[in-house]
This record gives sequence, structure tokens and C-alpha cells, in this order.
Amino acid sequence: MFDKVEAFYRPASVREALRLLHTGNGKARVVAGGTDVAVEADPSIRFLIDITQAGLDYIRRKGNVCTIGATTTMAALEASPVIRGLAGGILAQAAAACGSVQIRNMATLGGNLSNGSPAADAATVLLALEAEIVVAHQRGRKASSLAALYSPLRQGLLHEALIVEVAIPIPARGGRWSFHKLGRTEVDISLVNVAAGLQLDSRNRVKWVRIALGAVANSPIRAVNAETLAAGRTFDEILIEDICDEVAREVTPITDVRASAEYRRTMCRVLTKRALQECAARTGCSL
Amino acid sequence: MSSKKDSELPVPPKSGFSRRGFIRGVGIGSGALGTGLLETEAAAAAPATLGPGPVPITLNINGKPVNLTVEPSVTLIDAMRNYLDLTGAKRVCDRATCGACTVIMAGKTVYACTVLAIDAQGKNIETIEGLATGSALHPVSKAFYDNDAQQCGYCTPGFVMACKGFIDEHPSPTEEDVKHGLGGNLCRCGTYMGIRKAVLQAAKEMKGAVKNG
Repeated sequence: MFDKVEAFYRPASVREALRLLHTGNGKARVVAGGTDVAVEADPSIRFLIDITQAGLDYIRRKGNVCTIGATTTMAALEASPVIRGLAGGILAQAAAACGSVQIRNMATLGGNLSNGSPAADAATVLLALEAEIVVAHQRGRKASSLAALYSPLRQGLLHEALIVEVAIPIPARGGRWSFHKLGRTEVDISLVNVAAGLQLDSRNRVKWVRIALGAVANSPIRAVNAETLAAGRTFDEILIEDICDEVAREVTPITDVRASAEYRRTMCRVLTKRALQECAARTGCSL
Repeated sequence: MSSKKDSELPVPPKSGFSRRGFIRGVGIGSGALGTGLLETEAAAAAPATLGPGPVPITLNINGKPVNLTVEPSVTLIDAMRNYLDLTGAKRVCDRATCGACTVIMAGKTVYACTVLAIDAQGKNIETIEGLATGSALHPVSKAFYDNDAQQCGYCTPGFVMACKGFIDEHPSPTEEDVKHGLGGNLCRCGTYMGIRKAVLQAAKEMKGAVKNG
């Protein structure tokens, strides 16, 4: 598994971790829970830099922002009252859907994002919540949107940098949220996942809607056209169908060992519909 | 993944890349890092740098400290099976999928195949070997026996530890909780129905034990 690993470092701060990473010159890998790095078994990894003691294990709520340290485990997110109370608890729900309990006890939010999988449940939710991802490199820290970060993450371009924090703006009151995942089994990765948020005005018109989908493009995506189409319209079954049509047009799924592209596209409709209906039900809107 | 047989000891990695070069780079070459890093870290519970080469470590397994010397690349499952003769936990998939290597570390169930032995230092590790009290079976083991919750038995040690960890966190589980909480273990014989019953029985008995005790 870690056959080629020769040394193991446990820096006590992000600064030390970055220095070690720089010195490792491409042969060092940052590791937290290790659940992805271990399975990947990349033979080019000679040195592991364990950042679990670097002070990044926290969940804080300050004013209008909830910040989560990169090495917070999925199990901690699942159990946290702050995360459970945030946006209908969809991030806690996504964390609970990540792998098995043994995985969730080790796997961290930062690691999940660093892995750059388009199917990561937490990433879809963070995209819907418009979270910012704080990346530290030797020159300082920079916050970017998840969308901006995803393609470099996927291509492993962050080898001299480190995700340190996820900052979630607390959503406006009145919004209702829903997360749905479809996987072959309880512990398998998503075939499709959807995170949606919805707020209606007093006359059941859409004030805003957010729809994010995972595993249906090369990164998690926001269904921007569907969101635009819905704004201001009365929320009813016809609108849901229109949104689902638009979502099915926006996604670009592929066929792989788990499912065909057509199946994924159809499931995008099904899951979007369920998510929106759940948001509406939570608003108290009867369709 | 690895063609290594279970009985073989992990071979020290051979590589063209110079470890010394890296260490020099980290330790001396970049003056800012220097030995200062090691000194400031010395106070911490675990040393900041482990390896290269075999590292003496202490694992706290089933309440007893055990000393061993392992390469940094050795996983907890290999350390237990190949160095300590604790062969209850099984190395099956070796990629965090099947759960046969499940142990409880610091009160949480983990896959021993994806935890490095050196990273398991300072944490209380519970394995199947430490579960029974003398000849008296632990309630979870007994519930497996009572409910015929195994066939070939190869997944059983991992399943029993996963069940114990699960019940410790969910003393009164519903059947849905059981399905969610034990999704991380596979049984190729398909004894899941028996296992589900066993978990519910063990949870009841363990709660009774707590009340009586």
C-alpha cells in the first residue's frame, strides 16, 4: 500500500507543512486521514506529510460565516450541531454519505476536496452553498470559489499548496435545502448527487433557487441556466418539469463502470425533482 | 494490488531517489527548517519526523504497550499480523473497502490497512484478540454465535469489531442505523441477516450489562 514511502513528517503548523512540501519537490504528499492516498498507492510518493497535528481540525461559526478546518473528519461534520443546523443540515448529510463509517472516521473534508473527484458529495453541497476554499501556499493564503479551484485540483496542480479551510457563508433565512445522492450501495460513490436550495416569496414565486450536481460533468456543476429560468416564476409542477428539462440539457455525464451517460442524465432529472419537492415541502408549499 | 504474501515481511523500499538527499534538504540544506523544526517538535507527543529507515515505535494494543521497529511504510494491519502475531484482523482487499481489517482506534472504527503503524502511536487500539474476558465471550461475539452470523468466518473478526464500535456509539440502534453503521464491512457468504440480528441482540445485552453493572 505505502510500499515506497520512506519517511513520515508530522508538522505542527501549516507553515512547516508547506516548507516540507516544497522541499519534497514533488515526491512528498500531504496526507490527513490517508483514505485516498493509501488506495491511490502512487509509487512516486516517498514522503508523507501528515497535517492532522497542524491545527486544522475545527468547526467555527463567526458572524455570517461558518469555517471548517481542512482536517475536520467526515464523522465530525456528520455529528456537529453547527453543521447539522446549517442549511437544513445538507453538509452533515453529505458527510454521512461519504464512504463507510471506517472511512468517515479518518477521511477529512480537505482531503475529500483535494482528491478532486467530480463525485464528491461534500463538494456538490459546498458548491450549492457558495463556499470559499482557502488555500495556503508559501506566499500566503488565498480564498477561491470551489468552481475556480476544481480543475487545478483535478490535475494535481496544487502540489505546492494546501487547502486549509472551507468558509461557508451562512445562507439567508427563509431558504430551504435538500441533498440527494444515488449510489449503487450505501457506501459506493455517487452515480449522481444533487444539492438544492430554494426560497419562495409569499405568493409562491421563486425568490432564488440553487441547484448543484455532482458526478455528471468533469467537476461538480451549478445548473446555472435552470436557476435563471426559474427565477421569479410561480413554483409548481410545471416549473419543476421545466427546471428538470434544463438540468438534463446542462449536464455532461459520461458512461463508466457504474452507469451509462443516459441513465445518469435521467437520474439528474429524478434527483433534481426530488430535491426541489423536498425544499418546497420544507417551505410549507403544497404543490 | 500487492503480490506480497501475508507471511512475508515488508521489504525496505528500494529506490533510486536518495533519502539522504531529501533529509539533507529538509534538515540542513534549507537553514530555515534546520534542526530547529525537530527541536520545537520534541515537546510534542509524537516526534515530528519518522524515518527514513526502521523506526522504533510503541503501540498501545488492548491496553498493553508493545514495542516494535517498523519502516514508516508499514500499515497497522501489517504491523499487527507480521510483527506482533495478532492475526485476528485480516488483510483482504488492502484498499479500505472490505472491512476485514477493522480495529477500534481511539474509540473509532478504522480500516487498519489504511492507517500507518507509526501514525497509530499514542492511540488506544482495540482488536478482536482483546475482546473476550478470559473464556467468556464478549456480548457481540456471543450474539454472532447465537445468530449464526458467519459462514466461512473470514470477515467475522472485522465485523465483530465494527459491531462493537457501532454499539459503543449507538447503544439503542434501529435496524436502519445498523444498515448505515455497518456498511463498511463486506461478507461474501452473505450472512448479513444474521449479523443484523446479532447487532440488535448484542446492543440489548450490552445495555443490560451497563444497567446491571
